[in-house]
Amino acid sequence: MNYLKKPSWQLDEKEITPKELFDKRRSFIKLGAASIVSSAAIVEALAKENLPIKNLKYNEAVNNNLELNTYEQITSYNNFYEFTTSKERVKYMAHTLDINGWKITIDGLIDKEIEIDFDDLIKKFTLHERIYRFRCVEGWSMVVPWVGIKLSDFIKYVNPDSKAKYIRFETLFDDDMFPDQANMLFPAVEYPYVEGLRMDEAMNDLSILAVGLYGSSMPKQNGAPIRLIVPWKYGFKSIKSIAKISFVEEEPLNTWQKSNPKEYGFYANVNPNVDHPRWSQKRERVLGKFFKQKTLMFNGYEKEVAHLYKGMDLTKYF
Amino acid sequence: MKRFLLFLLLLTPFIFASYELFLVQNVKDPIKYIYTISGVTATVILFFTICISLIKKHYNLIKYRRMIGLYGFFYALVHFLNFLVLDAELDVKFLIKETIDKPFIYLGMIAFVILVFMAITSTNRLFRIYQSYHKLIYLSLILITIHFIMAQKSLTLMQFSYIGIIILIGYWKLLQQIIKRNKV
Repeated sequence: MNYLKKPSWQLDEKEITPKELFDKRRSFIKLGAASIVSSAAIVEALAKENLPIKNLKYNEAVNNNLELNTYEQITSYNNFYEFTTSKERVKYMAHTLDINGWKITIDGLIDKEIEIDFDDLIKKFTLHERIYRFRCVEGWSMVVPWVGIKLSDFIKYVNPDSKAKYIRFETLFDDDMFPDQANMLFPAVEYPYVEGLRMDEAMNDLSILAVGLYGSSMPKQNGAPIRLIVPWKYGFKSIKSIAKISFVEEEPLNTWQKSNPKEYGFYANVNPNVDHPRWSQKRERVLGKFFKQKTLMFNGYEKEVAHLYKGMDLTKYF
Repeated sequence: MKRFLLFLLLLTPFIFASYELFLVQNVKDPIKYIYTISGVTATVILFFTICISLIKKHYNLIKYRRMIGLYGFFYALVHFLNFLVLDAELDVKFLIKETIDKPFIYLGMIAFVILVFMAITSTNRLFRIYQSYHKLIYLSLILITIHFIMAQKSLTLMQFSYIGIIILIGYWKLLQQIIKRNKV
């Protein structure tokens, strides 16, 4: 078993309305409104409120014995340095992020640069629900029911040149939306935030471009409208609010590696045997828990991804 | 009365943290939360103890200095116990290994040992003997500052303003020493 039982003295989180019930109530109201008005346009407008996920219900059956974190926990503790370095405050600040008409530019080693509208993009692909462990390099973790498209589906669709060895992601640079990007003297990191994957990592079945969680759209603090999820790597690899995707030949220099190469590498695989210079990586604190649990090799996805790193010295390529 | 109010004031962060952790339970990462609140409180209180002599003309708190200092130690102890009990889960081997391996932890540990020494020798009898060693508080504070800065993932305005305040206090202390010496 890879999770800790809730200590007996810890109270239940009964006060929080489960997300499913809340959503059921919501769709019931929508249904009622739709049947009264019965105007196709209005039905569509109402359904759009919860875009992009219309048909996908959060399905608990697929949770492979993982104890999910609550919606409240997942959306109230976020690293999103474009807003603030405080994990608790992001949720109150993220409203300045405007995702209306969000576009993603795709360039590099492809036929020609394309710009895809986010709403169009997700209509093209099948949405999958993936319940993954999410492990931050700072030592905390959570279990999240993401909703997203397979990165491999996306790559096959845009069909990059075979010379492309890496995929590079970039977050939007807009200092009206992201207060810390306007911070000229003491920005938390260098902007725009950049991350990358080797092509075979990107093609792995586990890699997804997440567009939601718990069956509804991605909350802004979690990286709306679209973010990367690579569950066997530390959280900082999973870049938020993607605005640009490039296919490149050279290994991209990711933001954290640039800011502190001794502590953060390109691969950033969860590895309990390789300590971060400041934080031990052997154990992790699941959000909401008082005690820690053991960290698993590749965050528990060893079977699925270990072959990608065969023959590599993971203490060197950390 | 004044002593009692001060006692309560210094206890407030502890009461607040206990309320957040055990009563309303809206803390997402308890271990991190305890580290932050105990660390920040200890640091602020300990820096305040060295400022007491600076402000004594306006507010004479010298007779409460021991209590205030012991409170600083109390929060540092909570910080240490959080490491020992919740973080290391009483695994002494882990605790020793981490302390030796990681510079920001051993700097914090040295600072803590100094505080333990000062707390033990703060009784009237022992203080008379060890008074001069209590100057080690300055070393402890320097180590605490480095420990705090090193624990951050990235340095932002908050940390820089913190360093600014420390430099200001240092300058002020130095000025006080110079004035004192010139008087003699």
